[in-house]
Amino acid sequence: MNDSIKPDDIDPIIHERVRLAIVSALAVAPEMSFNELKATLGLSDGNLSAHATSLQKAGYVEIAKTFKGRRPYTALRLTAVGQEAFRRYVETLRKIIEKGAQPRDEQK
Amino acid sequence: MDRDEAQSRMQEIQRIMERATLWTILPGASAILGGLMVLGGCLVSYLMFRSVRGPSFTPIDFAALLDLSLNGQIAFCVMWFLIGAGGVVAEIHFAQLQAKRQGISPKGRSARLAFFSLTPSVVVAMVLTVKFLSPTQMRAQEIQYIAPVWMMLYGTGVYTAGLFSVRAPRTLGMAFIAAGVASIMFLQPYGVITAALSFGWFHIAFGLYVISKRRAGLST
Repeated sequence: MNDSIKPDDIDPIIHERVRLAIVSALAVAPEMSFNELKATLGLSDGNLSAHATSLQKAGYVEIAKTFKGRRPYTALRLTAVGQEAFRRYVETLRKIIEKGAQPRDEQK
Repeated sequence: MDRDEAQSRMQEIQRIMERATLWTILPGASAILGGLMVLGGCLVSYLMFRSVRGPSFTPIDFAALLDLSLNGQIAFCVMWFLIGAGGVVAEIHFAQLQAKRQGISPKGRSARLAFFSLTPSVVVAMVLTVKFLSPTQMRAQEIQYIAPVWMMLYGTGVYTAGLFSVRAPRTLGMAFIAAGVASIMFLQPYGVITAALSFGWFHIAFGLYVISKRRAGLST
């Protein structure tokens, strides 16, 4: 088994801190509303919206916009692709920690 | 990415997961159970007070405790102590069950932060209660203060603990503080009613809310 870590192993979409935070929260909660995620992570509307859209474009997150009564309601959940990407990212981190390794081109 | 950064990332992921899961380990069942125990305690208090009701007291005023016999006063205090202790035990038990179901540690960082946020307020409330109930101090007004003081301090603790979670516990904390303020300012002779409303019904409503949210997914 080749355990060396390549730069491609680090998913640039999830690697960004805010997006990592969003994916981490959604990894343990089946679904979170926009407001709940915003409160949990301490983000502004604009910041969360921008990063959630990036994750949606990558196919990692589903965003469902509906209404509850008269109020707009936005729910976010992690897709199967997002779950797999998160699992791979955590696995990469674990390898780096265990081996003290760095991606090959960073080691140069 | 070097090892330190990877470790820092892992810790960040863990912290966020704990914060998000604190919501999911909130034990709705224990809140309902605690609320029901308080309602039972209020009913028993009402019946005890009614049995010794004098001209100056109504059965919904905790100050009627002064009219009870010494044994009655002791039984009253023991009952409320057991209700409080039972509520704490139920909370811990159900939180552990829920955490086990979710595959997470019930002693995670957020749970510890919540515990340490709540503890000072509860300790202060306990000290004040002992002071108000001390034999040399026991006067109607001091006894009337006990329920509102618990509402306000418990509410403060729940609100602070909620800072590490989502909005629902903070809302519950604010509701307790508001109930405590109303109770100490305007409703002192109605302690049994305000205690039943806050510690009873607020907890039941909160428990039902948590359970309904969990069943529907995490939506607010």
